[in-house]
Parts: sequence; C-alpha cells; structure tokens
Amino acid sequence: MAIEDDVLVIGGGLAGATAALTAAEEGVQVRLVTHKQSTLRHASGLIDVLGYTPAGEGPIVDPFEALADLPEGHPYERVGTEAVREALSFFDEIAGDAYSGGHTASNALVPTHGGTVKPTARYPVSTAAGLASVPEDTLLVGFETLTDFDAPLAASHLEAAGAPFSARGVTLTFPGIVRDDAKINRYAHLLDHEETVQTGAGETSAREALAATVDAHLKDESRVGFPAILGDDHAADVRADLEDALGVDVFEVPMGPPSLPGMRLEDMLYDALGDAGVRVTSGVPVIDYETDGNGAIEHVVVDRHGQEVPYRAEQYVLATGGLVGKGVRSERERVFEPIFDCHIPHAAERYDWFVEDVFGEQPYARFGLVPDRELRPLGEDDDPEFSNLRAVGGVLGGYDYAAEKSGAGVSLATGYVAGERAGTEASR
Amino acid sequence: MAHDTEVLVLGGGSTGCGIARDLAMRGLEVTLVERGNLTDGTTGRMHGLLHSGGRYAVSDQASAIECIEENKILRDIAGHCVEMTGGLFVQRPEDPDEYFQEKLEGCRECNIPARVLSGREARTVEPYLAKDVKRAIQVPDGAIDPFRLCVANAIDAERHGARIETHAEVVDLLRNGDDIYGVEVRHDSGPGKRTHKTPGTTEEITADYVVNATGAWAGQIGAMADLDIEVRPSKGVMTIMNVRQVDTVVNRCRPKGDADIVVPHETTAILGTTDEEVEDPDDYPEEGWEVDMMIDTLSELVPILEEARTIRSFWGVRPLYEPPGRGTKDPTDITRDFFLLDHEDRDGVDGMSSIVGGKFTTYRAMAEQISDHVCEQLGVSASCTTAEESLPGSENLEVLEKGMDDFGLRSPVARRSKQRLGSRSPEVLDTDEANPVICQCEGVTRAEVCDAISQSGSDLNAVRIRTRASMGNCQGGFCCQNMASELHPEYDEETTREALDELFQERWKGERHALWGEQLSQAMLNYALHATTMNRDNDPASAAEPVEYGAFDTGVQ
Amino acid sequence: MSDAEQPTDDHVPGDDEFEPIQVFPEAEEMDLRPGADNCYKCSTCDTNCPVAEVDDEFPGPKFQGPEQWRLKRQDDHDIDDSVMKCSNCMRCDSACPSEVPLSQMHNTARAEYVEENMSKFSREYWRNRMLSNYRQLAPLAATFPRTANFVMGLSVTKWMGEKVLGIAGDRDFPEFAKTTFREWWAKRGGNATSRERAQEARAERGAEVQNEDKRIAYFHGCYSNYNTTEVGKALVRVFEHFGYEVMIPEQACSGTPMFANGMLDDARRAAETNVRELSAAIEDGADIIASCTSCSMSLRQEYPELFDFDGTEDVAENTWEAVEYLRVHEDLEGELEGTQVDDTNFAYHAPCHSRNQGLDGQTMEVMSAIDGVEAEDVGDSCSGISGTYGWKEENYETSMKIGEEMFDHMEDAEATTGLTECPTCSMQMEHGTGYEIQHTLQVLEAALVGTELEEA
Repeated sequence: MAIEDDVLVIGGGLAGATAALTAAEEGVQVRLVTHKQSTLRHASGLIDVLGYTPAGEGPIVDPFEALADLPEGHPYERVGTEAVREALSFFDEIAGDAYSGGHTASNALVPTHGGTVKPTARYPVSTAAGLASVPEDTLLVGFETLTDFDAPLAASHLEAAGAPFSARGVTLTFPGIVRDDAKINRYAHLLDHEETVQTGAGETSAREALAATVDAHLKDESRVGFPAILGDDHAADVRADLEDALGVDVFEVPMGPPSLPGMRLEDMLYDALGDAGVRVTSGVPVIDYETDGNGAIEHVVVDRHGQEVPYRAEQYVLATGGLVGKGVRSERERVFEPIFDCHIPHAAERYDWFVEDVFGEQPYARFGLVPDRELRPLGEDDDPEFSNLRAVGGVLGGYDYAAEKSGAGVSLATGYVAGERAGTEASR
Repeated sequence: MAHDTEVLVLGGGSTGCGIARDLAMRGLEVTLVERGNLTDGTTGRMHGLLHSGGRYAVSDQASAIECIEENKILRDIAGHCVEMTGGLFVQRPEDPDEYFQEKLEGCRECNIPARVLSGREARTVEPYLAKDVKRAIQVPDGAIDPFRLCVANAIDAERHGARIETHAEVVDLLRNGDDIYGVEVRHDSGPGKRTHKTPGTTEEITADYVVNATGAWAGQIGAMADLDIEVRPSKGVMTIMNVRQVDTVVNRCRPKGDADIVVPHETTAILGTTDEEVEDPDDYPEEGWEVDMMIDTLSELVPILEEARTIRSFWGVRPLYEPPGRGTKDPTDITRDFFLLDHEDRDGVDGMSSIVGGKFTTYRAMAEQISDHVCEQLGVSASCTTAEESLPGSENLEVLEKGMDDFGLRSPVARRSKQRLGSRSPEVLDTDEANPVICQCEGVTRAEVCDAISQSGSDLNAVRIRTRASMGNCQGGFCCQNMASELHPEYDEETTREALDELFQERWKGERHALWGEQLSQAMLNYALHATTMNRDNDPASAAEPVEYGAFDTGVQ
Repeated sequence: MSDAEQPTDDHVPGDDEFEPIQVFPEAEEMDLRPGADNCYKCSTCDTNCPVAEVDDEFPGPKFQGPEQWRLKRQDDHDIDDSVMKCSNCMRCDSACPSEVPLSQMHNTARAEYVEENMSKFSREYWRNRMLSNYRQLAPLAATFPRTANFVMGLSVTKWMGEKVLGIAGDRDFPEFAKTTFREWWAKRGGNATSRERAQEARAERGAEVQNEDKRIAYFHGCYSNYNTTEVGKALVRVFEHFGYEVMIPEQACSGTPMFANGMLDDARRAAETNVRELSAAIEDGADIIASCTSCSMSLRQEYPELFDFDGTEDVAENTWEAVEYLRVHEDLEGELEGTQVDDTNFAYHAPCHSRNQGLDGQTMEVMSAIDGVEAEDVGDSCSGISGTYGWKEENYETSMKIGEEMFDHMEDAEATTGLTECPTCSMQMEHGTGYEIQHTLQVLEAALVGTELEEA
C-alpha cells in the first residue's frame, strides 16, 4: 500500500515548508518529504525580497515597487506582485515576534560578516538593533577562534561603506571555549545552557563571563554586534541577559554556513508544520515516480535505505532546491532535474555555463525549471510536464538570487502560490 | 662604473631561483627579478613529478641518468618538498609487451632501480588501479611541490644576501652597444614586498652579468636586445582531482601519448598531459576537450577517475628549445635537454647568457652549470655547494620526525603542516596564541598563514603557494575571506579588500575547467556565500555612488 | 632470468564494475578518500552533531569524515584520537545535503584507530570490547537472571564497573528476563505454531489460508531476546494477527555496538552469520523484520557499506522495520481505527537511527489512528546514549547533557509513559525521567490483539 496524503511536498527548505503550510490551510492532509537537511542552514536567516535589479541597480529601497519591472519568466513575474505581498504577510504571521521589518515596505540595510551592508526585507529580531541605516555608534566583537568574522576589519569596512556611524572592532577570547576548532553550536550551547566556565575571575556562567569580557572593551558605543552565535533555543534570553549586563543594545551579524539564524528559522518553520498537522518524513529521498497515463503523477517512490516505498497524493510540489540543494544537478554534458527529469534550459557547451568575472552575469546561477503562471514546470515544448506537479524556490530558474538578493522572497512567494493551488485542487 | 649588483637573474621559476641560490652561496651579489609571483611561469604549472628517469629510459637515456642522480640529491636537500611516493609504469592488456621490456631494460641501463609487479601486486600497491592491468614496473618516482621548492631556494638566496624582487616585470634590457648591462623593471607596487594599492614605479637595475632564465619567455626578453632566441613553447594540460585516488605516481607504459600520468600531489592527484606547440606562452587556447581527454583516457588506468571530482585544470608551457637546423616537427620529439646560450659567443653581445630547455627535476644541475659559467665570466673561483647544503625547512628533518610534537593540532592537520614547514615547524607553529585552522580543506592554521604573509606582503596568491591555503575542494570559497582577514590590521581595510578580490578572482578562473557536478554546486555555494550573504558583489565600499542610508528601514515601527 | 620473464600475471580480466572493496575486504583498510569529493564544506553535519555541541574535545563530523580522510595518505595511520568520541548516532548522515558517506568514514577511521593506535592491553579497549559484545555476556546473565540482576544492582558492582572498567556507575544495568525470547518461542512451538496461528488469522480475515508470501523472518537482536522480551512477543502476535507466519532464524548481534567501538573484526564475524542466516530466510520467501531501529539500520546501511559477503545487498534490500512493513503491506491505520488501549498518553522519542531510515514521523502518524491516544513528539534531539556511548564513564556527563533537551520535553509532555523503538534510547529515557517506556509494537499489540492474552 502506498503512504497516502492529499498533497505531497518534496523538499524541506523555506519554499517547501511554505508550500506545505499554505496547502494545509486548505484543510487537506499534507506530507513533506525531505531527504537531507536544507540550505536553510547555509543561509543567513534574512528574508531578502529584492535588493538589486537583474541589471544590478540598487540597493533598492522599495522592493515591491521594483517587482513590476522584472522580465518575463522571472519567478516573481510568474506569480505577480500581489502574491509576493501576500506571501510576506503569511510569513509575518508565522514568524510573529521572531522577525522584524514587516512595519515598512522599505528594505533594511543589514551589516554582513564581510563588513559590507546588504538590503533585506525581513530580519531576525536578533539582528534588529544592528541596522546599518541607524546612526548609532557600534562596537563589533569578534573572537580569536571564530575565523569567519574579523570584527576590527568588518568595522573599518563598514566605515568605508559609508555607514552613518562610527564602528570599532575588537577581537576577544570567548570564555569557555577550550579548543580552537569548536563548532558554532558549541558556542551557542555554552550560552543557551549557561554552562559554568572558568575565567580569570574564577567560575561564572557563560553569559556573565561573556558580558564581562566585552564590557571591559565597551566605550561610548550604544550597541554591540556579535557574530551570530548567541544561543540557539534560548537566543532571546541570551541576548536579553547580555543587554542587561552591558546596558546597550546587542545584535547579531548574520554569518555564512553553518548559520544559527538559519537554523532558528528552520526550527520555527518545522514547529509551524507540526502545529498545522503536516506530516514530515525526513532522511529519505524521492527517487522515482509513476504517472497515471494521463499526464498526472500517480505516485512517487521513496527509497528508505533499499526499500522502495510508494507515496501517493493528489497534488505534488517540487521544492528540492538548486545546484546547492541538489534539486538541480549537472554532469560534463548536461544539467538536469534528477527526480522527474523536468526540462532545464542550458547551453550545450559547458564553457558557456559561466562568465569570466566571478561576480559577472553567471548563466549557471540561473539554471532551473521554467514554470507557467500556475508554477507547473514546462517541458521543452512549453507544455506542463505533469498536470499535478508544481515547482517552487531554488529549483526554479530564470533568476540569480545571489546577485538580486531575492532567494528567500522567491521561495516564499512561489511556495505560497503553489501550496495554495495544490491545496485547493486537492480539496476538490 | 659600479653596478647595482654583480649578477642579475631574470625569472623566478625553479631555474632562476636555483641560480640565485647557487651564486649567492658562492658569495656573489645577486638580484633576481620576476614578473609575477615566484613560480608564476612554468614551474607553478607542472604536475610536480620528481622523475626517477624512468620516463626517459627508452627515448633519452642521458636525461634519464641525470634525473636519477638529481632525484637522489633532492631527496636529501629538499626533503620537505619531496614525497617519495614511488612510481609505476603500468601496462594494460592492449599496451605493447616489447615496449614494457624496453622500458625495463632502459631503467636498468640507467641505474634506475626497477622491479616488475604482477597486475595483482600492482593493485595491492594501488587499489584503485583497473582490475585488468597486466603488470607494472616499479621505479623511484616521487612527487615534489614546485612552489615550496622554489620559495625555499629564494629564501636561502636571500639568507645569503640576494635581493629577490617579485612583481617586477622586465620592460627593457639595458644595452650599450654590444654590452648588456642591466634591465629596466616595472614594479607592480614599488620595490620590496608587494603591497596592494601601493603605486608602481620603474627601476633600472644594472649588473655585471645578466642571466636570462625566463624559460618560455626567453625569446621575448631576447627580442628586447634584438637577440633571436628560438624557444618553442609547448603547452600541456593538467587536471587536478579533489582527492588522491593514488598515492603512487602512475604512468601508462606505452611508447608515447597524451594523458599518460597521474601524480599524487599533496592532497590531490594531478592528471597529465598533452604536448602541443604554441606561438605565445601568454596566450594560447585552453580547451574543454583537453580536460575530457585527461579524464577519459586516464580512467582506463584508474577507473574511479571517470566519476571523480576535479577542482581545476591548468596549462603550462614547456620552455622547449631546439638548436637551429634540427627541424623537429612533433614537439614531443624535441629534446628535454637544456641549452646555455652565451650571447657573446653566439651573437657577439656581451654580458648576458640565456638558459632554455631543460626540466624541473634537474633544475639544480642546470643552475650549477650556469653558475659555473657566470663565475668563469666574472673571474670568480668558487665552487658549488647546492648539492650538499639542505634547503631551509629541510635541515635535520629526521629530528622533526622523531619529535612527536603536534603543536596542539589534530593529527592530520599537524602532519600536513609539519610536512609543509619541515624543520621550520617549531618556529612557526609553536605559539601561545589561538591557532585555529584557516583553510580547512588543506589544514592550514593561522600561524602558518601569518608566517607566509611575513614573507610575501599583502599578496594572498603568494600566501597561497607557500601554504596551500585555498587550494582544496572549496577553492577558497570558505577561506579566502579568512586569509584576507589575517592581513588586517598590518595592512589597512582597502588593501585587504583588494587582496581578497584578487585571490577570489584567481581561484574562480582556475575552476572554469572543472565546472560540472560537485564543483559546479561548490561554485554556486561559494557565489551565494560571497554575493548573497556578504554582498561582496555590490559592496558599497567599492561602489562609485554612495548609498543613501537614510532612505532605508530605520527599524522604527 | 629477469623479473619480467617470470609468470607474474594472475589477473582475471574484469567484466564487472570496479569495486575497490573486493581488493581489500578488510574495512579498516578501505580507502574512503573519494567520499570527500561530495563535501562542499557547508558544515551542516557539524550543526547536527550532538557530541560536538557539548564535548570540547570532539571536532565534529566534518573534520572526522571528509576532512580527515582528504588529508590522509595510504601510509598515514595516525587517525586523530577524537574519533573515539563519536557516538555513531549517524545524524550527520541524514544531515549532509551532499551525500558524503560520513558514518562510513567514521566507522572505518575508528576501526583503523582501534587497530593501529589503541593498546590491546588498555582498560578502554577491553571495556569497549565488553560493551560491544554485550551479546556474549548476556547469555550468562540470562542463565541466572535473578543472580545477575541482583549482582548488577549492587553498589559494589557499579563501583567496580566504574573504577575497573570505566562503565558509568550512575547507570542501572538492564534487567535480564527470566525467560529469553527464544526460549519462549521454542516453548510456544516455534515456527509450526506460528504458521498455524497465521493460518487461523487469515481464515478469520477471509483471506487465502495458504499463502507463501505472508512470511517474515524476525531479527530480534540481543535486547528483545535477553531483556525486553515483551517487544519480541508483541511483534510475533501483531504479525500473526495480520496473517504472517513468523520465522526466527539463528542470528548474532547486528554489529551496531561494534561499529561504534571500532571493533570491526567482531562486527564482521557477527555480520557473516547474520547475512548467511538471513539470506537463507529470504530464499525461503521471507522478508526480514527488525523491531529495533538500530538493528534495521545496521542491516540496511552499514552492512553494504562495510562488508561484501554473498547476499549482503540482498539482505539490505529485504530488511524492514516492523511498523514500516505493516504500513506498506497492510492497511495498518485502517485496522487501528476504532481500537482502544488502556494507556493513552505517550511521550514519543524518535531514535536517531529511525530518522535515518525516514521513520521519524511514522509512530506519531500510526498512534493518531488509535482512539483516544495522545502521543506527543518530544522533539528531534538525540537521547544522548547512542548505544554503548553513554555507558562509558568518560561520556556519562556529555550523554546526560545531550539528553537534557529530550528529558525536558518529556517532562513538559502530558504523559508519564515514554514511547520509542530503540532499546538504549529507552534506557536513557527511563534513566532521565523515571518514566515507564514502551515500544510502539507493544501499543499496537494492545490495540489489535489485547494484552491479557498470555501464552503458555
């Protein structure tokens, strides 16, 4: 017997989770199957909508205004501006107090761990006190064992970027870290669980020790920025305690992989999935499918370590990600979508997949499926590949999320639209 | 007129650095100028094979004998650059038996230790060899890090008083009638260590004698003084695999042909190569089919290569030279021997010799002969000691190996670090400071990166060739930024930013021949990290227009 | 005569795909460097490692796996000793978005470390050997269960365990059953009885009474045999209820604790027996069913990764976890509808090894079909015991730190009965909360067959 549900979402990142949550709103039974962990853990946790136009103009102040000018085929153009707004509202509801930025249509400029600033539409509350558009002097704190964030360099860089405040950086020793190769979750755990640590002043809790270490270097700055390691499950408490002890605002600078803000976002989404009654199956891949002979998918096949188990639903949503999430794969001769072999347009010659400037207009960054306005992936003949399959997020092509800073927004908007359609159709 | 220096060496490859060291050790005053970084020409673009001589045992026995002799010397004086992997000449069922026999006999004639292994024995040595290999000849091939070797020669030359100027391009030869008395160079960032953002200058450097050791570029240098040097640059492709599928140099045992060698190199394996003449050593086509041929052909020997990840491919140009009148068509038939062209004898122009041809394994012997020649020209009687004196890093290696100190590092990181630094390990790694790993792929710590910076200034590519940082599977995606951070605050933010951009672009360019499968996914992840997360592609600090901060969300509800 | 003239070639031209494992059947000599090709350095594995989060000495799975392997050469044998800190929870496997064979790399490196670097005379070696060969000790204890239970509970024994062997003194040794599962099975009439009961059930269900397809071979593992025999009995009754004839093949330990301790030679011996016996059962038309998710994990994933006996793949392809099998082959949820059980509130913990098999949500879904049952998932954290890991004195504290999140969630849940499929998770759940812990099959048995039914 197949495992049966109404809507089956394949892929457990931001797009897949959004699709599952919106579909569940329609009162149908939804299952999300996710093989490995998603690229949410790579991502900074910021919800970008559009920071630069495809032509590279920006930073854009109002991303929604700029959406109307996007070229045909761009995922935002496919779903329409209104859907993007609705998707953001949907996200705001799920996120509640955990995210800020919903009070305005304008982008925020957030300092990055490389010392630049970047435009984004929603940001975790842990980042809120650090906005680069706020003219408040800033102390950045780095740690000698955390090589990804050099605070003095980032501070000089922010000043070079014209940020309207003075920034200073210090590099300190993180109390309680005993090996130079401790992982970020070790730092977070120390703070989360208030572990007892040894400092020059004797035994104290990790939060107190960190506050004391930083306090000694704080001058007249009104806010202190840390790399994003300030707790995982109890991040808000950690930050509040540090703010109390230091008497200034505390914020996190989003980091590259592995990213705690990304993990917190993931936890938030999976809690929401649980609350919405979405069934989650993880750790196993979808490897194949059967059609009903009439252009619809009858069931997909999940490989559970050798056992091929059929999963059946009325509607399917493909949210397997791009080249990084491995929803798009490549070989020397071709670029392909591995589960349904949906059409991915690409140059035949692999030397045409990229350009010489690393930050140039990179064709490979746009690899992905081409959807119709229903988000059904289209075949080479421009007809939908299957009548009951929609594709969302990174597996879609036609946009360069890295250059545009549009990754999370596209995932939300397409997930929202596809989830709603799939849910509606399945409930018929 | 007193000259700036006694000897001026042009070219910072293995030959140039070897000559600089040799002459400096003989007590001469030496200056070496190099257009880019050390090894930027041919030396940094080879597969790192330390020949046993086996490759030439049939076609060129004089070279073979020279190779085995130098092979032994380098193991002694450059132990920290050499890995004695051993080599195999592997015969597949379709490869000719006669050639196998000739190869074996040739090795014996040249005193190259050679032993025949059955197919099964060969696969015990190298489990990833194809199941159907017939047999193999085992020879003492090795792997050598050309970067480390060159840098060690340069450091030792400096210790003996030499001046080494990288990023100093020769723009003219100074010629007075029939006398060449120096060069004019253009410094990329001023003399001394390279610092980004320092404006360039030009400098005339005069010398009693000039040695043109620019290899494939020797013709271009000669032309500056209207000298005709007929180098015949020949390109060869090399493809770098992400991991070592083999720990032994694996050669295909057949007469000649492209794509017939796999060299384990540090953490990687390098597939080589082709041999095709080119006009301009700086401008020749690099094509995908060449890479495909490496993978497809060598998969016959090591099948796992077919599906394996490659992280880069690069091309090098051999500085082949053929004396006038021989007229060899196929570059593979041009001799690998080297030639000393004394322009006084040859062209009636005094004060300069050019050195062309030759091969990396015998760089020291070449340097010795040229140095002898220079000494003779300058009337200096001093003899060569480069065969006896260990290079910096290779002194007392056995002491280091016996000492079990891992400097607080995890065992494979300690092992690779000590291997790179050799006897300099305690000096560099013994630190009370936090010493986290900066490049995780290659296991390079902060202390080692900082040591390299102290040698080479803000040039992160120079740090790279000294440490291997950013040369692993992420190709710098995750560590370029962290390497650059180590420049600060010694170098300011703008210099650091520029150095980072240069390294990041360099890493990207070399990956273009590997962009499919895992490496394309890696490229996308790197791009996302640098563009999405850091917004380095639209860095307001580098933009022409200032950002209007006040127009954006101020966080106020 | 020169070397070349010797008859040196004994190869058989290959017609099948190249398999390096066949050259070196010894797993500790396997070259897994190519596995590093898949790593793109995202560190997702590290963020999933419950040990790296609490143990300062453990550098995380990325270093232990692809990085250490890539930096390694054939001749290097100094595996970093921190590999022994890995608990083999295998969470990194399902975390990795890029198919790096992390646990295989860890298992192989660990085996090499034990082989090359660990003194065979050390207390640690013998303690690990003893813990991983629980099966060898258990029969002894089971012969005199009362004495064993008494002795194991004595404080002097615990003290001896900790001081002499390095086994955590705070742990309670599992109780041994007075009758082992296999003894019960034999007394009950073995396979013949099961066939009868299956046929009766089929008749009752109006199905074909003779059905060669409805046959399973139960891999009970050590724990259901010697300790929680009620789990094994529940499995038999539930499967018979659906008309399945149960066979109990000869079997050795699945190997899970041996992998975790780098005792690959021991694991290989056990695996050889299991593959042989289970292959024979498959020949007889049976599917292999396990009630312990670590046992099914081992047969499905670790065997094919580490061994190459005839039939290894076949066994992997025909092994199922018990509830998974019923769900796919029967209308389990339909059958459960309208059933009831006495104990209705459960705090469910999905074992790490069940997550790896895509079974994390299964129990919650199945429980929701039983009337009145409220099961609450206590989150995706690791219980912290990971088989033998938490039994070691030096890991006890980290083991309890890892378990903290689960304990908290269990206490927050409105239940005082725990539910899980893994015997050692079950020990940890009981140890941390004092709750009674059940196996999902016991709840299914109560719902479908009833518990009063006590057999001779």
